[in-house]
Amino acid sequence: MPEGQFCNKRPVNTDEELKALLGDTGGQKYYQEMKALEVDTALLWSTIQKTMKSRIKTWLSICAHCGMCADSCFIYRVSNRNPKQVPAYKIQSTLGEIVRRKGKVDNAFMHMAMETAWAKCTCCNRCGMYCPHGIDMGVMFGYLRGLLYQQGFVPWEMKIGAGMHRVYRAQMDVPNEEFVDTFQWMVEENQEEYPRLEVPVDKEGADILYTVNAREVKHYPEDLAEAAILFHIAGEDWTVTSEGWELTSLAMFAGDWEACKMQVTSVYGAMERLKPKRMVGTECGHAHRATVVEGPYWAGRKDGQTPVPSIHYVEWLAEALRTGKLKIDPEKRIKVPVTIQDSCNYIRNHGLKEVTREIISYIVEPGYFRDMSPNREHNYCCGGGGGFNGIGLYRRQRNEALKTKRDQILATGAELVLAPCHNCWDAIRDLIEEYEVPVKWSFLKPLILKMAVVPEHLKPRE
Amino acid sequence: MFKNILFATSATEASDHAARVAFNLARQYGAAVTVFHVLGVPTRGYSQVVVDVRTKESVQVDDEYRAWVVEEIKNQHGGEMKKAPQAVVEVCVGYPHREILRAVREKKPDLVVMGGTTGGDSVYKKALAGTTLQKVAKAAPCPVLAVAREAASFWGGFSSIVFGADFSKASDAAFDFSLKMAREAQCELHLFHAVDVGATLMGKIMDQDTIEGQIRESLNRIRGRYVAKMGDFKNYTMEVWEGIPSIEIVKFARERNADLIVMAHHARQADLEDSPMGSTMEQVIMRAGCPVISVNRLPKA
Amino acid sequence: MYAFLTGPMFWLSLAVFIAGLFWRAVWYARGLDWQLDRVAYRAWPKEGARGAVRSVFRWLVPFGTRGWRVQPFMTVVFFLFHAGAVLAPVFLLAHNVFLESKLGVSLPALPRFLADALALLAVIAGLLLALRRVALPEVRILTDWRDGLVLALSLAPFITGLLARFQAGDYQFWLLAHIISGEAFLIAAPFTKLSHIVLFFMSRAQLGMDYGIKRGGMKGKGMAW
Ligand code: HEM
Ligand code: HEM
Ligand code: SF4
Ligand code: SF4
Repeated sequence: MPEGQFCNKRPVNTDEELKALLGDTGGQKYYQEMKALEVDTALLWSTIQKTMKSRIKTWLSICAHCGMCADSCFIYRVSNRNPKQVPAYKIQSTLGEIVRRKGKVDNAFMHMAMETAWAKCTCCNRCGMYCPHGIDMGVMFGYLRGLLYQQGFVPWEMKIGAGMHRVYRAQMDVPNEEFVDTFQWMVEENQEEYPRLEVPVDKEGADILYTVNAREVKHYPEDLAEAAILFHIAGEDWTVTSEGWELTSLAMFAGDWEACKMQVTSVYGAMERLKPKRMVGTECGHAHRATVVEGPYWAGRKDGQTPVPSIHYVEWLAEALRTGKLKIDPEKRIKVPVTIQDSCNYIRNHGLKEVTREIISYIVEPGYFRDMSPNREHNYCCGGGGGFNGIGLYRRQRNEALKTKRDQILATGAELVLAPCHNCWDAIRDLIEEYEVPVKWSFLKPLILKMAVVPEHLKPRE
Repeated sequence: MFKNILFATSATEASDHAARVAFNLARQYGAAVTVFHVLGVPTRGYSQVVVDVRTKESVQVDDEYRAWVVEEIKNQHGGEMKKAPQAVVEVCVGYPHREILRAVREKKPDLVVMGGTTGGDSVYKKALAGTTLQKVAKAAPCPVLAVAREAASFWGGFSSIVFGADFSKASDAAFDFSLKMAREAQCELHLFHAVDVGATLMGKIMDQDTIEGQIRESLNRIRGRYVAKMGDFKNYTMEVWEGIPSIEIVKFARERNADLIVMAHHARQADLEDSPMGSTMEQVIMRAGCPVISVNRLPKA
Repeated sequence: MYAFLTGPMFWLSLAVFIAGLFWRAVWYARGLDWQLDRVAYRAWPKEGARGAVRSVFRWLVPFGTRGWRVQPFMTVVFFLFHAGAVLAPVFLLAHNVFLESKLGVSLPALPRFLADALALLAVIAGLLLALRRVALPEVRILTDWRDGLVLALSLAPFITGLLARFQAGDYQFWLLAHIISGEAFLIAAPFTKLSHIVLFFMSRAQLGMDYGIKRGGMKGKGMAW
């Protein structure tokens, strides 16, 4: 049986297929079928010939095998410096080998490659900063994931995630109506405290178009409320869109480039339709990476830019605090030792290190901030990036990988960890649970909301 | 009075007393009951893994698992459920307070019944400030009835209702509700307020004159704000005590053999985390010998 | 023999070396694809250039990047080896005398003792690199026979050159061996990892452009390598 019912080379394109795949608890049957999945070696090789250009070819061929990248990889470090976790080894033994064998690899090889691509690398891109030749293995693992996805060798949750984007244009089964309705619900829930709070839907020409992570809609819509309230307090002219509101992309983690394109074009469509001055996305790292940093390329935009300037929530926040749109009550500033998690996806990979520090300067009482070591673009991955958090099959490896961040946090002595990224937030929550680490952690929104000064005219009249 | 009750259960013993109240009320008022259980908190990002709130185990939720949980709930509350044979059981995945509120929004019940807080070690507790009860009580558009102790569960009709007044807007809604209940049940209504001489004054001792002055003033306010609205309803008393409100109201309710306490719960979201002992309302629920209903809003017209 | 090696063979190896490396650089640049690499090279030339220059030059400075700083042993060995590998042959008096006779042009020459020292240090550093390869498990697992070959190809001209220079044993023999190994090196360079002599610059520049254009170069202070 070369192609399984669940595990095959076809992406999930309909709700029925999605439900069926979800019905296969834990992907038991899926992974069973994967054992018999045939590798289409001709397709593999022709894809490589079409899409692997001089950059990756050169990376693979000039690697000096010097091992300077070894220590840069947090997974290598937490696995007792197992040489098999050296980034260069991981990529050479998978992508490198596929190329050397001109695509003629078997099922067992693809299983190994899948585990390497999703359980031994989070695409954090840190190794690329430590290789003297500038060989970025994170980028190559992303490429490898694309090849594996095309062949059907992809973890169950990733296939589902990509399917979600294909069917719903969101990472979870949240239809557009539910998004709008949930946002409205949240606003209603808070109208007693903020009487004129509202959520303008599909308003054209607003200053800000706000986009979210579907999980906020599904599981913690408080986040939507907080975003609305903060825009409200800051006096922003903002809106949300009833279509193309999802910032994230599990398709990127899955290596489903077609779905990546579908997803971002839905958001860009909203930008073009509503013509906001800019887009602000929620506190999510990979989502920003997908929609703002990589997305324009998937969508074929030659300037590499989104249709309207797009910024991360931390950029908006820093700006609002800087310009005084949001004022912090100095009394309420954070007065416990606090640290911040630098998300790979927008710190290392989008240069926002200074902005987050600027926010700290406004909200943390001087003397209480403890930076992690290393930090900024040199920070380690939270341990759950690149899809790692979500894959049941690799739970054990993921939990091991969390140790890096655990130790980094403990070394700061912080009691509170700021985690303005969904993935990091999840990973930190899990590490706190898994290793019983006595710290709290939080997104920025709820904290800011607690300390922001609400202008008199926006307060309820009793 | 009640036609549609949403009973949000933890599916553990902690909700047994609440179950009794929910189904007794349902029988008395002929209300439909939805037994609603949030079986697990989603974990690990977008994975399908859920931490079961009862077993604390990581599980993969599928139809089979849901069916099993529904069976478990029927076992847990089976005895009570016989009182309302048409009751339906629903389970879902999510953060409990949020899913309960979502269900409230969809089903528009006229009463939510919940058990007490289930201790501090619950799986979702760490992620969010405050308890499920606090959050539901704060945001629900309908009254929320909570029962924490066995002694507090309710056996028959109402004969004595205590309304804990705090003169806020939310409290007006709570008053309206109390009056309606009392009229319907044709029972006594006790309007009560406690002058806070405790914690909130940071140890400053009020002298007796000030206290008495405040008591007098409060009585006036009760008259002006509530009694004035009672029309022909005469079966009431009013009383103002001094002390720590959560304690005084419980004492008062015992003294009057109350079988229901009604009060408003309107802590600001941001304050929840900062009150380690929980809100006044939660204190009352923990100690009260009868169910406590929290009302914050007038029903939408 | 000597005449052939310093005549046609010399020209051939030099031509292969230069044309080969040139071709690899051109092939690299032509293979860059804005959409597949996801870097808008053309749209942002200034930002790209800035990123490229930073990325290359920071890495050419000993301890200039965090990558170098966290591995001081490797850094010292690497720079000792490469100082010799690059400076010694290019600015060697003997080479330039030879070039002068062939081409009529020459580069300034290093003082003898300095050239000697550089060459000697390069050999020592090269041997340490070899040692590192066997000693460290994270490097050993990466190593294959080609790495040995490249190291041998690189070290051979130095060792033979030094032996000839200090007239250890048969001068003619060592000189011949030197020229053979030198030409082997030149010919092999474009076809092996030694092509990094140019591709290092291309690859680093590419990543620099990536960071300069897409990954944050237009935000804040830019990458702190
Ligand atoms: C400007 C020119 C050059 C630059 C920028 C350069 C740069 C580099 C870099 C970044 C590496 C990888 C890191 C490492 O393994 O230490 C490397 C390795 C190496 N280079 Fe070069 N290189 C240059 C010229 C040369 C030349 C002329 C030779 C030979 C004579 C050479 C021989 C080697 C060897 C043998 C290695 C591998 C070292 C090992 O075994 O670890 N390089 N070079
Ligand atoms: C292609 C043909 C080459 C020729 C004709 C050539 C010729 C020479 C000559 C004539 C000497 C002087 C020996 C003496 O002192 O009497 C020499 C020395 C040397 N050559 Fe070459 N060479 C060549 C290639 C290379 C290459 C490719 C390298 C290095 C990568 C190299 C590195 C050296 C070194 C290190 C010395 C000794 C330096 C010293 O200590 O003075 N040579 N070479
Ligand atoms: S640091 Fe770069 S050149 Fe060295 S082994 Fe790693 S990838 Fe290869
Ligand atoms: S991208 Fe990150 S996780 Fe992947 S190999 Fe490099 S350092 Fe390791």
